[in-house]
Amino acid sequence: MRMNDLRASIHDWRKRWAYQPWFRRYEWLIIGLVGWIAVALLFLPPFGRPEPLGALSVIAWYLAGFAMAGVLLSDREKPILLKRATSLSVIALFFWLFYRYSGTRWDRVQEQFFNLSSMDGVWELYAQGLLVTLQISIVAAVLSILFGLTFGILRTLGNPVLDLFLGLHVDIFRALPLIVSMVIIFYALPFVGIRLSAFWAAVLALVLMNSAYQTEIFRAGIESVPRGQIEAARALGLGPGATMRHVILPQAFKIVIPPLANNLVSLVKDTAVAYVITVPELLTNAQQAVTWKRSPTPLVLSMFVYLATLIPLIHLTRHLERRLGAWNTR
Amino acid sequence: MSDASDETPAPMIEARGIQKYFSGVHILRGIDISVASGEVAALMGRSGSGKSTFLRCLNRIEEPTYGDVLIDGTIITDLRTDVNRIRADIGMVFQDYNLFPHMTALENVALGLIHVRKLPRSEAQDAAAAALERVDLADHLAKYPQQLSGGQQQRVAIARSLAMRPKAILFDEPTSALDPEMVHEVLDVIRTLAAEGMTMVVISHEIGFLRKVADQLIMFDAGLVVERGPTARVLDEPEHERTRAFMKVLR
Repeated sequence: MRMNDLRASIHDWRKRWAYQPWFRRYEWLIIGLVGWIAVALLFLPPFGRPEPLGALSVIAWYLAGFAMAGVLLSDREKPILLKRATSLSVIALFFWLFYRYSGTRWDRVQEQFFNLSSMDGVWELYAQGLLVTLQISIVAAVLSILFGLTFGILRTLGNPVLDLFLGLHVDIFRALPLIVSMVIIFYALPFVGIRLSAFWAAVLALVLMNSAYQTEIFRAGIESVPRGQIEAARALGLGPGATMRHVILPQAFKIVIPPLANNLVSLVKDTAVAYVITVPELLTNAQQAVTWKRSPTPLVLSMFVYLATLIPLIHLTRHLERRLGAWNTR
Repeated sequence: MSDASDETPAPMIEARGIQKYFSGVHILRGIDISVASGEVAALMGRSGSGKSTFLRCLNRIEEPTYGDVLIDGTIITDLRTDVNRIRADIGMVFQDYNLFPHMTALENVALGLIHVRKLPRSEAQDAAAAALERVDLADHLAKYPQQLSGGQQQRVAIARSLAMRPKAILFDEPTSALDPEMVHEVLDVIRTLAAEGMTMVVISHEIGFLRKVADQLIMFDAGLVVERGPTARVLDEPEHERTRAFMKVLR
């Protein structure tokens, strides 16, 4: 009987509370507060006593931020911001728990891996390396898209001779590890009289592999355009070339963009393999700095250079995908 | 319905002994038809009877294995003919519209004018807008196919054919993918075209519509024409038993 009362009262509370608009509900405020206290503690010395003034100031900031968000944001944006703030707080809490209780000597970690005092001249090396990485990436990306698109179109023609060669190319270079083909191109091809600079050897290996992947991507994209589209175009009197250009490819591109973007991002990442053939790209330069500075810091920080380059790239492709998909939504 | 007597004696569309094999299966087993200029011919028959394949042979979207198709007196099944020029002169409207989803209604209609008729872009767009106005879609020029109803999409498809100023239009079940309330808006457009003297070959099972519009009715069965004649006669007094059975099902 009392159990039923309890259940009924919880139900009653849910009915009156849980379906209220966001501004009449405060439980999320408490969730967020807990998270922000954790963030506040994060900035306090790990082994000392928490400083009450510091915690209070963070709480004050939090409340001020809440008030500002209430004024500035629209009702549609508020719950989104709230969800993000809450989840960030929870993540921060976990990080803090690890930081505080894992027993790691963070001062030693910082000295070894994040020793910014020994970074003189390394940033310049990063910049040079990043430039080379981007050069390889852009040249290889443009070439592999050109070849991938051409091969993809050729594969849809159904010519048996072409299919044999293109199929071989796809099979071999999807199976071969990039590092193997790169080393072979750079170190073995000179013996048969083909001498490539390290830069072009890296580009060639990347193009061979990525054009193989992209051949399949473009072929799948082209083949996914319904037959009726081709028939309608041909019935209008468009030739095969015009049909491909104006009807099939625009529709195929939309389908192809997510896997293609994926492939291009991994192409940029794969430029790091060029380290083995001494192309002065980002990773090579970071390694060089490691021996120069006798500290692993340059290598660790090069990670952030990669992240700072690639994360915007990924978001750019996602944005592009959404924009190109505009005609496909009501 | 128009009077064909004052036209040139050569039929607009003529098929002579069309046969078609699909990987060994004999789909069309010798079809002869003749459609005069300004005439509307209706093809009927159960699914799989070959009427759709035959229609697609008329503009060589499907290549007939044997036989000749003549458009306005010229043999188009000749390997030397420029198939794209012939197709530009014969419109085709499909069952599921087949509009290009990445183009607006206007771009859909203008595509053939720009790239086949080689009109300058502005001129092509004017012509496309005029064609869309003829099918009563002047307010929807900038919409994408997904934003249009089925009936509207099919009318865009008709405008796409119409804008090319074809000698004839082929309709492959233009209303069978449509909701019932949209069927009439498409049929009205076709009826108007018939009144204006457009030569058309229509696959349709809309009896009431065919009775008003079609001059001759051609019954297909198992890859052969089993019966042909003036629409009213074939509909009301079918001679062949297959036709009779089919009519019974339709009623």
